[in-house]
Amino acid sequence: MSVPPIAGDFVALLGRHQVSLLPSAASGAAPVETQATTVFAFRFAEGVLMAGDRRATAGNVIVTDQVEKVMELDDTSLLAIAGVPATAFEMARVLQTSFEYYRRSQLQVLSLPARVRALARLLRDNLPMTLQGVGVVVPLFAGVDASVQPAVPKIFFYDPLGAQFQAVNYAASGSGSGTIRSILAFQERHGSPRPSAMTRTDAVAFALRLLMTAAEFDSATGGVNPELHHFATIKILRPGGVETVSDDEQREALRGTEGRR
Amino acid sequence: MTEEPYRWLEAMGNRREYVREQLKGGSPVLAASLPEGILLLGVGTGNTKVFEIHDRLALAALGHPADLERIRQAAIDAAHLEAFTRAPEDVSLRRLVGFGLSAQIKLQYEQLFTAPVLGEFVFAELGAGPESDLLFRLHFDGTFSAESGGCALAAFPAEAENRIRDWLGTELRNVPTRAAAVRLLLEAWWLLSSGSWESSEIPAFAEREAGWRGAIAGKTVELGWLRRRAGRAVRYEPLSLETVLAETGDPNDSRS
Repeated sequence: MSVPPIAGDFVALLGRHQVSLLPSAASGAAPVETQATTVFAFRFAEGVLMAGDRRATAGNVIVTDQVEKVMELDDTSLLAIAGVPATAFEMARVLQTSFEYYRRSQLQVLSLPARVRALARLLRDNLPMTLQGVGVVVPLFAGVDASVQPAVPKIFFYDPLGAQFQAVNYAASGSGSGTIRSILAFQERHGSPRPSAMTRTDAVAFALRLLMTAAEFDSATGGVNPELHHFATIKILRPGGVETVSDDEQREALRGTEGRR
Repeated sequence: MTEEPYRWLEAMGNRREYVREQLKGGSPVLAASLPEGILLLGVGTGNTKVFEIHDRLALAALGHPADLERIRQAAIDAAHLEAFTRAPEDVSLRRLVGFGLSAQIKLQYEQLFTAPVLGEFVFAELGAGPESDLLFRLHFDGTFSAESGGCALAAFPAEAENRIRDWLGTELRNVPTRAAAVRLLLEAWWLLSSGSWESSEIPAFAEREAGWRGAIAGKTVELGWLRRRAGRAVRYEPLSLETVLAETGDPNDSRS
């Protein structure tokens, strides 16, 4: 007797059609990998802000300064990737399709714990590549928890093996994350306002300055330069949905807070 | 016995009659292409009749809930596999219905010792403008057709469907708003479900309005909306009848 498929599971559907998900073996002659850094997320007064620079590197080569590392998975989920884009983008695509597939086929939204675990499962499936030192992805995830009233956005971070952790106020990943976590920890404890109490405009300006600072110490972080029109990818998650902060708005946020300093 | 051609034809005829008999009491479903999007409508007593399939695709159906569910699931599976292995832009109704669902349904219909699909389907694909919208009718025997005239409906008998589709296509040209279009679809639904389509003259507006308002009492009106202008890839949203009818709008409805 055959085992019935798991209802609404897109990965199982791919398996039934023998569509491979992620590469599971690497050659010893693998080229220098493209890497993407730095991403972070923190709570502010209206929800969660998730941001990332736009640089991708391979060794000491800058591959591009136009990568989008913060992705909208659906109305209530954001993913930020640090690590190898080839694997990370595929994970994002699998998750995007999986969440929508579940919602449409089962006529209900996938719960936040299930979404968090779906990413953990992809990371575990990527374990052979991770252990070989290629294809490592260390993502951040933010999702709206609708099981509580009022619904609240929450931040999660992972280790490369797939362990998931909930962050209280902030999380960061990638080569510039050390600097950013230090500033966030300091600001959350001693700052005024604390990031979790910031307005939208202040939070956007703060996020841009975090990236500027990280770029001072980490060559793989692209940073922000308004004069050269280099901005970050910033998305805001509220209980009501996702919003992208445009380059123009980032410029205005920086300009506005400069005047108040 | 079915190896003999005559017996086979007779068995198929019986099967067709059986399916029609089963479906004739089904509540009609309708879809209309409007300037701002595509509207789908179904009226039921609990079972869902209007569904999202993919970013720009939706379905409205009448028939046995288990069969509708099977076809809906097959459409969702095929659309998502296509979107994942190629791109969401490659998911097309023409291929989904023409090369996938139609063949599956026909095969099942012609296998005399399996249960046929008890369902009639209207599929919609949102285009860049109303002229590129696609509305498909898929029948219980696997036959399908692209509908012209900006509307499609599934109803029994076929004469009712044809007459009201022609009437609806003409009337749709005069609706200025989405709210007016919803009212018009409800009028069409009432004409079909009440048997008023058979009268030599289509009943007057006031009678149609009173008719659908009375007929939906105790029932659930489902509205699906494929929004043409949207910031996201997902264009489908369910609407509530109360919300849509409260939209500003109807004073210029030339039909009233």
